[in-house]
Amino acid sequence: MSGFRDSASGSQPYKDPTPLPDSVPRVQELGVTSAPLKSAAFFIGAYCKEYNEDFMLCKNEGRGDPGQCLKEGRRVTRCATDLINKMRENCLEQFDAHWNCLELNNQEYYACRKPERTLNKCMFEKLGLTKTVPGTPVGKKQIHEVENPIYTTVQR
Amino acid sequence: MPVPWEALIPFGLLTSMFAAAGTLLNVSKRAQNQGKPVRYHIDSWDEMMMDRDRRLTGHLRGQSSNPVPPEGFETSSAWYTEATS
Repeated sequence: MSGFRDSASGSQPYKDPTPLPDSVPRVQELGVTSAPLKSAAFFIGAYCKEYNEDFMLCKNEGRGDPGQCLKEGRRVTRCATDLINKMRENCLEQFDAHWNCLELNNQEYYACRKPERTLNKCMFEKLGLTKTVPGTPVGKKQIHEVENPIYTTVQR
Repeated sequence: MPVPWEALIPFGLLTSMFAAAGTLLNVSKRAQNQGKPVRYHIDSWDEMMMDRDRRLTGHLRGQSSNPVPPEGFETSSAWYTEATS
């Protein structure tokens, strides 16, 4: 990816010289890094389905103008923050175990099924959310529920 | 009959050199990645997420599940200066 970095202020981190104007309402950005987000991804999909779909449809018809979908974007951020807070309140140990396992395994889901099962169980009991993979063929089991998967960490 | 053990010294040297080099490389890689295994098969999405992790925690492999980002996170993205085409 090419980018222009102004070399005059190389010692400080990059600071955007043109931030959003004050007329745009502020939303607290989500400070969660990649591994916990990957762990919570399917639950965000289940919990925030309407807001996410709203945003994607708005972007689809927007034809590249970022200013049109700011409201839907704020809603998406707020919903995801809400879910992360709820997850941390209710299922903190299982959540931490799962994303730590992901970090040790190149962030691959297939390597961390055991912590994932405990996390799914906890999320279902406390918050009523299930993980469903949208593209699974009808009639086949969800890949995270298959007992003896073909692709594991150990080469067979 | 005396066994010519001096002839085995070069083999021992070779083995220990390989082991030392391998261990040193492994330790160096893990130290660069905060004690975790190296990430492989990284695509542009992963690079973008790791850059975001660096903005959030200071290190490419740093992770945190705190939903509140540090100060200055909202203006530290160099995305706007990237070329669009």
